[in-house]
Amino acid sequence: MALRTEELILNMGPQHPSTHGVLRMVVTLDGENIMDVQPDIGYLHSSVEKMMEYRTYIQNISLADRGMDYLAALANEMALLRAVETLGGIETPLRAQWLRTMFLEFQRIASHLVWLGTWGIDIGATTVFLWCFREREQVIDLFEQSTGGRLHYVYFRPGGVYEDIPEGWLQKALAFCDDFEQRLVEYHQLLTGNPIFEVRTKGIGVLPREVAINLGASGPVARASGIAFDVRKAFPYMKYAEVEFDIPVREEGDCFARYMVRMEEMRQSVRIIRQCAEKLPPGEIRAKVPITLRLPKGEVYTRTESPRGDLGIYLVSQGGETPYRVKIRAPAFSNLFALSEIMRGWKVADMIAILGSIDIVLADVDR
Amino acid sequence: MRALLERVGRGMEGLVTGLRVTFTTLLRPKNTVMYPIKKVDVSPRWHGLLALPIDPQIGNDLCIICFQCERVCPSRCIHIEATGKAKERVLTRFDIEMDKCQYCGLCVEVCPTEAIVFVPHYEASTYNRHNLNYDLEDLHRAAPKEPIARGVIR
Repeated sequence: MALRTEELILNMGPQHPSTHGVLRMVVTLDGENIMDVQPDIGYLHSSVEKMMEYRTYIQNISLADRGMDYLAALANEMALLRAVETLGGIETPLRAQWLRTMFLEFQRIASHLVWLGTWGIDIGATTVFLWCFREREQVIDLFEQSTGGRLHYVYFRPGGVYEDIPEGWLQKALAFCDDFEQRLVEYHQLLTGNPIFEVRTKGIGVLPREVAINLGASGPVARASGIAFDVRKAFPYMKYAEVEFDIPVREEGDCFARYMVRMEEMRQSVRIIRQCAEKLPPGEIRAKVPITLRLPKGEVYTRTESPRGDLGIYLVSQGGETPYRVKIRAPAFSNLFALSEIMRGWKVADMIAILGSIDIVLADVDR
Repeated sequence: MRALLERVGRGMEGLVTGLRVTFTTLLRPKNTVMYPIKKVDVSPRWHGLLALPIDPQIGNDLCIICFQCERVCPSRCIHIEATGKAKERVLTRFDIEMDKCQYCGLCVEVCPTEAIVFVPHYEASTYNRHNLNYDLEDLHRAAPKEPIARGVIR
Protein backbone atom coordinates (compact mmCIF):
# COMPACT_ATOMS: atom_id res chain seq x y z
CA MET A 1 0.00 0.00 0.00
CA ALA A 2 1.47 3.29 -1.11
CA LEU A 3 1.75 6.03 1.48
CA ARG A 4 -0.87 8.68 0.82
CA THR A 5 0.55 12.21 0.67
CA GLU A 6 -1.17 15.50 0.08
CA GLU A 7 -0.35 19.18 0.10
CA LEU A 8 -0.80 21.03 3.36
CA ILE A 9 -1.86 24.65 3.56
CA LEU A 10 -0.27 26.31 6.57
CA ASN A 11 -1.05 29.74 7.95
CA MET A 12 2.05 31.43 9.23
CA GLY A 13 1.20 34.50 11.21
CA PRO A 14 -0.18 37.09 11.84
CA GLN A 15 1.14 36.55 15.36
CA HIS A 16 4.23 34.60 14.45
CA PRO A 17 7.28 36.09 16.15
CA SER A 18 9.58 35.89 13.16
CA THR A 19 7.29 37.64 10.72
CA HIS A 20 8.54 41.00 12.09
CA GLY A 21 5.09 42.37 12.65
CA VAL A 22 1.65 41.23 11.68
CA LEU A 23 2.26 39.52 8.38
CA ARG A 24 0.22 36.43 7.48
CA MET A 25 1.69 34.04 4.97
CA VAL A 26 -0.43 31.30 3.43
CA VAL A 27 2.12 28.60 2.71
CA THR A 28 1.38 25.54 0.58
CA LEU A 29 3.63 22.74 1.78
CA ASP A 30 4.54 19.41 0.27
CA GLY A 31 6.15 17.73 3.23
CA GLU A 32 8.94 20.09 4.15
CA ASN A 33 9.10 21.79 0.75
CA ILE A 34 7.41 25.07 0.01
CA MET A 35 5.22 24.92 -3.09
CA ASP A 36 3.71 28.39 -2.90
CA VAL A 37 3.66 31.41 -0.60
CA GLN A 38 1.01 34.11 -0.61
CA PRO A 39 1.73 37.04 1.72
CA ASP A 40 -1.49 38.43 3.19
CA ILE A 41 -1.10 42.01 4.34
CA GLY A 42 -3.36 44.63 5.82
CA TYR A 43 -3.26 43.86 9.52
CA LEU A 44 -1.41 47.07 10.33
CA HIS A 45 -3.19 49.32 7.86
CA SER A 46 -3.45 52.77 9.41
CA SER A 47 -4.57 54.76 6.34
CA VAL A 48 -1.76 57.27 6.65
CA GLU A 49 -2.32 58.55 3.13
CA LYS A 50 -5.92 59.52 3.91
CA MET A 51 -5.06 60.98 7.30
CA MET A 52 -2.44 63.20 5.72
CA GLU A 53 -5.17 64.91 3.69
CA TYR A 54 -6.71 66.28 6.89
CA ARG A 55 -3.55 67.63 8.47
CA THR A 56 -1.34 70.58 7.66
CA TYR A 57 2.12 69.96 6.30
CA ILE A 58 3.87 70.49 9.61
CA GLN A 59 1.46 68.14 11.38
CA ASN A 60 2.09 65.54 8.70
CA ILE A 61 5.73 65.32 9.76
CA SER A 62 4.75 63.71 13.06
CA LEU A 63 2.35 61.45 11.20
CA ALA A 64 5.02 60.32 8.75
CA ASP A 65 7.16 59.32 11.74
CA ARG A 66 4.59 56.93 13.13
CA GLY A 67 2.37 55.78 10.32
CA MET A 68 5.10 54.71 7.95
CA ASP A 69 8.35 52.89 8.58
CA TYR A 70 8.73 53.36 12.34
CA LEU A 71 12.29 52.07 12.47
CA ALA A 72 13.51 54.84 10.19
CA ALA A 73 11.43 57.84 11.19
CA LEU A 74 13.86 60.45 9.92
CA ALA A 75 13.95 58.87 6.47
CA ASN A 76 10.17 59.27 6.27
CA GLU A 77 10.37 62.89 7.35
CA MET A 78 12.98 63.48 4.68
CA ALA A 79 10.82 61.83 2.02
CA LEU A 80 7.81 63.98 2.89
CA LEU A 81 9.82 67.17 3.20
CA ARG A 82 11.64 66.61 -0.06
CA ALA A 83 8.25 66.61 -1.78
CA VAL A 84 7.02 69.64 0.19
CA GLU A 85 10.20 71.63 -0.40
CA THR A 86 10.34 70.77 -4.09
CA LEU A 87 6.74 71.83 -4.65
CA GLY A 88 7.00 74.94 -2.50
CA GLY A 89 10.41 75.95 -3.79
CA ILE A 90 11.74 76.23 -0.24
CA GLU A 91 15.49 76.70 0.11
CA THR A 92 17.18 74.94 3.00
CA PRO A 93 20.21 76.55 4.67
CA LEU A 94 23.52 74.80 4.14
CA ARG A 95 24.03 73.81 7.76
CA ALA A 96 20.59 72.22 7.89
CA GLN A 97 21.36 70.22 4.76
CA TRP A 98 24.58 68.83 6.23
CA LEU A 99 22.83 68.09 9.54
CA ARG A 100 20.05 66.26 7.74
CA THR A 101 22.52 64.16 5.76
CA MET A 102 24.31 63.19 8.95
CA PHE A 103 21.11 62.31 10.80
CA LEU A 104 19.81 60.26 7.90
CA GLU A 105 22.96 58.16 7.93
CA PHE A 106 22.69 57.63 11.68
CA GLN A 107 19.12 56.52 11.06
CA ARG A 108 20.34 54.06 8.45
CA ILE A 109 22.79 52.56 10.94
CA ALA A 110 20.09 52.27 13.62
CA SER A 111 17.66 50.63 11.21
CA HIS A 112 20.19 48.16 9.84
CA LEU A 113 21.24 47.25 13.39
CA VAL A 114 17.66 46.30 14.27
CA TRP A 115 17.52 44.22 11.12
CA LEU A 116 20.80 42.45 11.85
CA GLY A 117 19.83 41.71 15.44
CA THR A 118 16.37 40.34 14.71
CA TRP A 119 17.57 38.37 11.73
CA GLY A 120 20.29 36.88 13.90
CA ILE A 121 17.60 35.68 16.31
CA ASP A 122 15.59 34.24 13.42
CA ILE A 123 18.42 31.99 12.34
CA GLY A 124 19.54 31.12 15.83
CA ALA A 125 22.28 33.56 16.77
CA THR A 126 21.23 35.25 20.00
CA THR A 127 24.47 37.09 20.76
CA VAL A 128 24.29 39.29 17.70
CA PHE A 129 20.88 40.59 18.82
CA LEU A 130 22.24 41.78 22.16
CA TRP A 131 25.33 43.30 20.59
CA CYS A 132 23.39 45.13 17.87
CA PHE A 133 20.94 46.63 20.33
CA ARG A 134 23.83 47.78 22.49
CA GLU A 135 25.15 49.86 19.60
CA ARG A 136 21.69 50.97 18.53
CA GLU A 137 21.14 52.31 22.03
CA GLN A 138 24.13 54.60 21.54
CA VAL A 139 22.72 55.92 18.26
CA ILE A 140 19.34 56.50 19.87
CA ASP A 141 20.98 58.31 22.78
CA LEU A 142 22.63 60.62 20.25
CA PHE A 143 19.22 61.24 18.68
CA GLU A 144 17.70 61.87 22.09
CA GLN A 145 20.30 64.48 22.97
CA SER A 146 19.66 66.37 19.77
CA THR A 147 15.99 65.88 18.98
CA GLY A 148 14.39 64.86 22.28
CA GLY A 149 12.80 61.73 20.89
CA ARG A 150 14.09 58.19 20.90
CA LEU A 151 12.03 56.63 18.11
CA HIS A 152 9.78 59.39 16.79
CA TYR A 153 11.80 62.55 16.40
CA VAL A 154 9.78 65.36 14.89
CA TYR A 155 13.04 67.01 13.95
CA PHE A 156 13.03 68.06 10.31
CA ARG A 157 10.91 71.07 9.39
CA PRO A 158 10.08 72.59 6.02
CA GLY A 159 13.21 74.59 5.31
CA GLY A 160 15.58 73.17 7.89
CA VAL A 161 15.70 71.38 11.20
CA TYR A 162 14.04 72.29 14.50
CA GLU A 163 17.03 72.73 16.81
CA ASP A 164 20.77 72.93 16.35
CA ILE A 165 22.84 70.09 17.74
CA PRO A 166 23.85 70.66 21.39
CA GLU A 167 27.39 71.46 22.42
CA GLY A 168 29.73 68.49 22.41
CA TRP A 169 27.35 66.39 20.36
CA LEU A 170 29.65 66.21 17.37
CA GLN A 171 32.51 64.81 19.47
CA LYS A 172 30.19 62.15 20.85
CA ALA A 173 29.04 61.28 17.34
CA LEU A 174 32.60 60.92 16.09
CA ALA A 175 33.54 58.85 19.13
CA PHE A 176 30.63 56.58 18.30
CA CYS A 177 31.89 56.28 14.71
CA ASP A 178 35.34 55.16 15.91
CA ASP A 179 33.78 52.67 18.28
CA PHE A 180 31.26 51.41 15.76
CA GLU A 181 33.85 50.56 13.10
CA GLN A 182 35.48 48.16 15.55
CA ARG A 183 32.08 46.72 16.44
CA LEU A 184 31.42 46.02 12.78
CA VAL A 185 34.56 43.91 12.69
CA GLU A 186 33.21 42.05 15.73
CA TYR A 187 29.91 41.36 13.96
CA HIS A 188 31.85 39.97 11.01
CA GLN A 189 33.85 37.72 13.35
CA LEU A 190 30.61 36.58 14.92
CA LEU A 191 28.71 35.78 11.73
CA THR A 192 30.64 35.93 8.47
CA GLY A 193 32.99 33.02 9.10
CA ASN A 194 30.50 31.07 11.19
CA PRO A 195 29.87 27.68 9.50
CA ILE A 196 26.28 27.39 10.77
CA PHE A 197 25.47 30.88 9.57
CA GLU A 198 26.98 30.27 6.14
CA VAL A 199 25.07 27.02 5.68
CA ARG A 200 21.85 28.79 6.61
CA THR A 201 22.37 31.74 4.25
CA LYS A 202 24.75 31.02 1.37
CA GLY A 203 22.84 30.12 -1.79
CA ILE A 204 19.50 30.34 0.05
CA GLY A 205 16.66 32.39 -1.39
CA VAL A 206 18.22 33.57 -4.62
CA LEU A 207 16.45 36.54 -6.19
CA PRO A 208 17.52 36.73 -9.84
CA ARG A 209 18.34 40.11 -11.31
CA GLU A 210 15.49 40.08 -13.87
CA VAL A 211 12.87 39.15 -11.24
CA ALA A 212 14.14 41.88 -8.95
CA ILE A 213 13.74 44.46 -11.72
CA ASN A 214 10.30 43.20 -12.73
CA LEU A 215 8.96 43.28 -9.17
CA GLY A 216 10.34 46.73 -8.49
CA ALA A 217 12.63 45.65 -5.69
CA SER A 218 14.91 48.39 -4.44
CA GLY A 219 17.42 49.15 -1.74
CA PRO A 220 19.75 46.50 -0.34
CA VAL A 221 17.55 43.69 -1.72
CA ALA A 222 18.04 44.92 -5.29
CA ARG A 223 21.69 45.75 -4.76
CA ALA A 224 22.34 42.21 -3.54
CA SER A 225 20.93 40.97 -6.86
CA GLY A 226 23.37 42.99 -8.91
CA ILE A 227 21.38 46.16 -9.56
CA ALA A 228 23.69 49.08 -8.87
CA PHE A 229 20.94 51.58 -8.11
CA ASP A 230 20.87 53.96 -5.18
CA VAL A 231 18.71 57.08 -5.08
CA ARG A 232 21.45 58.84 -3.15
CA LYS A 233 23.71 58.51 -6.20
CA ALA A 234 21.14 58.56 -9.01
CA PHE A 235 18.99 61.48 -7.80
CA PRO A 236 21.08 63.18 -5.09
CA TYR A 237 19.27 65.15 -2.44
CA MET A 238 20.61 67.18 0.48
CA LYS A 239 24.40 66.86 0.42
CA TYR A 240 24.79 63.35 -0.95
CA ALA A 241 26.28 64.74 -4.16
CA GLU A 242 29.14 66.29 -2.19
CA VAL A 243 30.18 63.34 -0.05
CA GLU A 244 32.16 60.34 -1.19
CA PHE A 245 30.70 56.91 -0.68
CA ASP A 246 30.42 53.63 -2.53
CA ILE A 247 27.34 51.58 -3.27
CA PRO A 248 27.99 47.97 -2.27
CA VAL A 249 26.72 45.60 -4.97
CA ARG A 250 26.74 41.80 -4.91
CA GLU A 251 25.86 39.53 -7.81
CA GLU A 252 24.67 36.41 -5.94
CA GLY A 253 21.22 37.59 -4.83
CA ASP A 254 21.04 35.17 -1.89
CA CYS A 255 20.55 35.85 1.83
CA PHE A 256 24.28 36.08 2.40
CA ALA A 257 24.63 38.74 -0.30
CA ARG A 258 21.86 40.81 1.28
CA TYR A 259 23.64 40.50 4.61
CA MET A 260 26.97 41.57 3.17
CA VAL A 261 25.41 44.53 1.34
CA ARG A 262 23.82 45.85 4.52
CA MET A 263 27.00 45.37 6.55
CA GLU A 264 28.96 47.31 3.96
CA GLU A 265 26.28 50.02 3.88
CA MET A 266 26.74 50.60 7.58
CA ARG A 267 30.46 51.10 7.01
CA GLN A 268 29.73 53.56 4.22
CA SER A 269 27.30 55.41 6.50
CA VAL A 270 30.07 55.90 9.04
CA ARG A 271 32.19 57.27 6.21
CA ILE A 272 29.47 59.77 5.24
CA ILE A 273 28.97 60.86 8.85
CA ARG A 274 32.69 61.59 9.20
CA GLN A 275 32.66 63.74 6.07
CA CYS A 276 29.53 65.58 7.23
CA ALA A 277 31.07 66.32 10.62
CA GLU A 278 34.17 67.64 8.88
CA LYS A 279 32.33 69.88 6.42
CA LEU A 280 29.55 71.07 8.75
CA PRO A 281 29.43 74.86 8.24
CA PRO A 282 28.22 77.37 10.84
CA GLY A 283 25.13 79.43 10.18
CA GLU A 284 21.38 79.28 9.99
CA ILE A 285 19.58 76.01 10.53
CA ARG A 286 16.09 76.99 9.46
CA ALA A 287 14.70 79.16 6.69
CA LYS A 288 11.78 81.45 7.46
CA VAL A 289 8.78 79.30 6.66
CA PRO A 290 5.37 79.98 8.24
CA ILE A 291 3.86 77.32 10.49
CA THR A 292 0.69 77.23 8.39
CA LEU A 293 2.48 76.56 5.15
CA ARG A 294 0.51 76.92 1.91
CA LEU A 295 1.93 75.21 -1.13
CA PRO A 296 1.16 76.39 -4.66
CA LYS A 297 -1.21 74.37 -6.80
CA GLY A 298 0.53 71.46 -8.45
CA GLU A 299 1.84 67.97 -8.07
CA VAL A 300 5.25 66.44 -7.50
CA TYR A 301 6.85 63.03 -7.17
CA THR A 302 10.12 62.81 -5.28
CA ARG A 303 12.13 59.84 -4.15
CA THR A 304 14.60 59.29 -1.36
CA GLU A 305 16.66 56.32 -0.24
CA SER A 306 15.30 55.01 3.03
CA PRO A 307 17.17 52.14 4.76
CA ARG A 308 14.75 49.75 3.04
CA GLY A 309 14.99 51.17 -0.44
CA ASP A 310 13.42 53.67 -2.78
CA LEU A 311 10.84 55.65 -0.79
CA GLY A 312 8.78 57.91 -3.01
CA ILE A 313 6.10 60.47 -2.20
CA TYR A 314 3.56 61.70 -4.74
CA LEU A 315 2.05 64.93 -3.45
CA VAL A 316 -0.84 66.85 -4.98
CA SER A 317 -1.64 70.29 -3.67
CA GLN A 318 -4.70 72.42 -4.46
CA GLY A 319 -3.19 75.51 -2.86
CA GLY A 320 -4.59 74.93 0.62
CA GLU A 321 -3.03 74.31 4.01
CA THR A 322 -3.38 70.56 3.63
CA PRO A 323 -2.29 68.26 0.80
CA TYR A 324 -5.00 67.16 -1.60
CA ARG A 325 -3.53 63.68 -2.05
CA VAL A 326 -0.45 61.89 -0.79
CA LYS A 327 0.67 58.60 -2.27
CA ILE A 328 3.50 56.77 -0.62
CA ARG A 329 5.60 54.37 -2.63
CA ALA A 330 6.81 52.08 0.14
CA PRO A 331 10.02 50.12 -0.48
CA ALA A 332 9.10 47.29 1.89
CA PHE A 333 5.85 46.68 -0.01
CA SER A 334 7.62 46.00 -3.30
CA ASN A 335 10.33 43.99 -1.62
CA LEU A 336 7.79 41.85 0.24
CA PHE A 337 6.13 40.67 -2.96
CA ALA A 338 9.41 39.32 -4.20
CA LEU A 339 8.90 36.71 -1.45
CA SER A 340 6.57 34.38 -3.33
CA GLU A 341 9.10 34.31 -6.16
CA ILE A 342 12.09 33.70 -3.91
CA MET A 343 10.62 31.15 -1.53
CA ARG A 344 9.28 28.57 -3.96
CA GLY A 345 11.20 25.30 -3.60
CA TRP A 346 12.94 26.00 -0.30
CA LYS A 347 12.35 24.31 3.05
CA VAL A 348 10.27 25.70 5.90
CA ALA A 349 13.32 26.57 7.98
CA ASP A 350 14.77 28.57 5.09
CA MET A 351 11.55 30.54 4.87
CA ILE A 352 12.37 32.29 8.15
CA ALA A 353 15.87 33.16 6.99
CA ILE A 354 14.59 34.50 3.66
CA LEU A 355 11.80 36.54 5.21
CA GLY A 356 14.23 38.08 7.68
CA SER A 357 16.76 38.93 5.02
CA ILE A 358 14.21 41.06 3.09
CA ASP A 359 13.96 43.45 6.08
CA ILE A 360 10.29 44.36 6.01
CA VAL A 361 8.51 46.67 8.40
CA LEU A 362 4.81 46.00 8.32
CA ALA A 363 3.87 49.59 9.04
CA ASP A 364 5.68 50.48 5.85
CA VAL A 365 4.02 47.68 3.88
CA ASP A 366 0.46 48.49 4.93
CA ARG A 367 0.78 52.24 5.52
CA MET B 1 39.17 7.72 12.77
CA ARG B 2 41.37 10.60 11.71
CA ALA B 3 38.38 12.49 10.29
CA LEU B 4 36.58 12.04 13.60
CA LEU B 5 39.54 13.40 15.56
CA GLU B 6 39.71 16.39 13.22
CA ARG B 7 36.05 17.10 13.78
CA VAL B 8 36.51 16.85 17.55
CA GLY B 9 39.48 19.18 17.28
CA ARG B 10 37.50 21.74 15.31
CA GLY B 11 34.66 21.50 17.80
CA MET B 12 37.04 22.14 20.69
CA GLU B 13 38.48 25.09 18.85
CA GLY B 14 35.00 26.56 18.42
CA LEU B 15 34.24 25.94 22.08
CA VAL B 16 37.39 27.73 23.22
CA THR B 17 36.67 30.69 20.90
CA GLY B 18 33.15 30.96 22.25
CA LEU B 19 34.19 30.75 25.88
CA ARG B 20 36.89 33.36 25.33
CA VAL B 21 34.19 35.78 24.18
CA THR B 22 32.12 34.90 27.25
CA PHE B 23 34.95 35.60 29.65
CA THR B 24 36.07 38.84 27.99
CA THR B 25 32.46 40.06 28.10
CA LEU B 26 32.37 39.29 31.84
CA LEU B 27 35.17 41.76 32.39
CA ARG B 28 33.67 44.57 30.31
CA PRO B 29 31.54 47.30 31.91
CA LYS B 30 27.82 46.63 32.09
CA ASN B 31 25.50 48.05 29.46
CA THR B 32 22.24 47.72 31.36
CA VAL B 33 20.82 49.24 34.55
CA MET B 34 18.49 47.62 37.06
CA TYR B 35 15.52 49.69 36.01
CA PRO B 36 13.18 50.41 38.92
CA ILE B 37 16.10 50.87 41.31
CA LYS B 38 18.39 52.81 39.01
CA LYS B 39 17.19 55.12 36.28
CA VAL B 40 18.88 56.46 33.22
CA ASP B 41 19.32 60.20 32.75
CA VAL B 42 17.24 61.79 30.07
CA SER B 43 18.59 64.61 27.97
CA PRO B 44 17.48 68.23 28.58
CA ARG B 45 15.59 68.17 25.27
CA TRP B 46 13.62 65.09 26.28
CA HIS B 47 10.07 65.00 24.95
CA GLY B 48 8.41 64.03 28.20
CA LEU B 49 5.21 65.13 29.88
CA LEU B 50 3.83 68.59 29.21
CA ALA B 51 3.49 71.26 31.87
CA LEU B 52 2.61 74.93 32.35
CA PRO B 53 5.26 76.06 34.85
CA ILE B 54 4.34 78.83 37.26
CA ASP B 55 6.43 81.94 36.79
CA PRO B 56 7.64 83.19 40.21
CA GLN B 57 7.38 86.87 39.19
CA ILE B 58 3.72 86.75 38.16
CA GLY B 59 2.66 83.88 40.39
CA ASN B 60 0.83 82.34 37.48
CA ASP B 61 1.64 80.58 34.25
CA LEU B 62 2.74 82.53 31.20
CA CYS B 63 -0.16 81.50 28.96
CA ILE B 64 -1.60 84.41 26.98
CA ILE B 65 -4.51 82.36 25.61
CA CYS B 66 -3.54 82.63 21.95
CA PHE B 67 -4.88 79.14 21.12
CA GLN B 68 -1.87 78.42 18.88
CA CYS B 69 -0.97 75.15 20.61
CA GLU B 70 -4.57 73.98 20.39
CA ARG B 71 -4.59 74.69 16.67
CA VAL B 72 -1.23 73.13 15.80
CA CYS B 73 -1.69 69.91 17.79
CA PRO B 74 -1.84 66.99 15.29
CA SER B 75 -3.85 64.74 17.61
CA ARG B 76 -6.06 67.59 18.90
CA CYS B 77 -5.50 66.75 22.53
CA ILE B 78 -5.27 70.30 23.94
CA HIS B 79 -8.54 72.01 24.95
CA ILE B 80 -8.52 75.66 25.98
CA GLU B 81 -11.41 77.83 27.16
CA ALA B 82 -11.25 81.37 28.51
CA THR B 83 -13.58 84.08 29.82
CA GLY B 84 -13.33 87.86 29.80
CA LYS B 85 -12.10 90.22 27.16
CA ALA B 86 -8.75 91.69 26.12
CA LYS B 87 -6.35 91.94 29.07
CA GLU B 88 -8.78 90.55 31.62
CA ARG B 89 -9.02 87.20 29.93
CA VAL B 90 -8.72 84.30 32.33
CA LEU B 91 -8.06 80.67 31.60
CA THR B 92 -11.01 78.59 32.70
CA ARG B 93 -9.93 75.36 31.11
CA PHE B 94 -6.59 74.07 29.88
CA ASP B 95 -6.85 70.33 29.47
CA ILE B 96 -4.34 68.03 27.84
CA GLU B 97 -5.39 64.48 27.13
CA MET B 98 -2.03 62.89 27.73
CA ASP B 99 -3.20 59.52 26.38
CA LYS B 100 -3.77 61.10 22.97
CA CYS B 101 -0.58 63.17 23.00
CA GLN B 102 2.10 61.95 20.62
CA TYR B 103 4.92 64.02 22.13
CA CYS B 104 5.74 65.72 18.86
CA GLY B 105 6.58 69.04 20.50
CA LEU B 106 4.78 71.30 18.05
CA CYS B 107 2.88 73.04 20.88
CA VAL B 108 6.16 73.82 22.63
CA GLU B 109 7.54 75.13 19.36
CA VAL B 110 4.71 77.52 18.53
CA CYS B 111 4.15 78.91 22.05
CA PRO B 112 5.16 82.60 21.89
CA THR B 113 5.80 82.98 25.65
CA GLU B 114 7.28 79.51 26.32
CA ALA B 115 4.39 78.85 28.68
CA ILE B 116 4.03 75.19 27.76
CA VAL B 117 7.19 73.11 28.23
CA PHE B 118 8.39 69.54 28.36
CA VAL B 119 9.26 68.03 31.73
CA PRO B 120 12.12 65.50 31.98
CA HIS B 121 9.82 62.80 33.30
CA TYR B 122 8.84 59.56 31.67
CA GLU B 123 6.81 57.46 34.03
CA ALA B 124 3.20 58.42 33.35
CA SER B 125 1.46 55.06 33.37
CA THR B 126 -1.63 54.65 35.51
CA TYR B 127 -4.30 52.03 35.98
CA ASN B 128 -7.06 54.35 34.78
CA ARG B 129 -7.18 56.25 31.52
CA HIS B 130 -8.95 59.20 33.12
CA ASN B 131 -5.90 59.90 35.23
CA LEU B 132 -4.19 60.96 32.02
CA ASN B 133 -6.60 63.85 31.41
CA TYR B 134 -4.47 66.63 32.87
CA ASP B 135 -6.30 69.81 33.86
CA LEU B 136 -4.79 73.18 34.67
CA GLU B 137 -3.90 72.28 38.26
CA ASP B 138 -2.15 69.10 37.20
CA LEU B 139 -0.20 70.99 34.55
CA HIS B 140 0.88 73.59 37.12
CA ARG B 141 1.96 70.83 39.49
CA ALA B 142 3.92 68.95 36.83
CA ALA B 143 6.08 72.03 36.37
CA PRO B 144 9.77 71.23 36.81
CA LYS B 145 10.43 72.52 40.33
CA GLU B 146 13.19 69.93 40.53
CA PRO B 147 14.34 67.32 38.05
CA ILE B 148 12.34 64.15 38.46
CA ALA B 149 13.94 61.24 36.61
CA ARG B 150 17.65 61.81 36.80
CA GLY B 151 19.61 58.75 37.80
CA VAL B 152 17.78 58.41 41.10
CA ILE B 153 19.28 55.67 43.26
CA ARG B 154 16.91 54.49 45.93
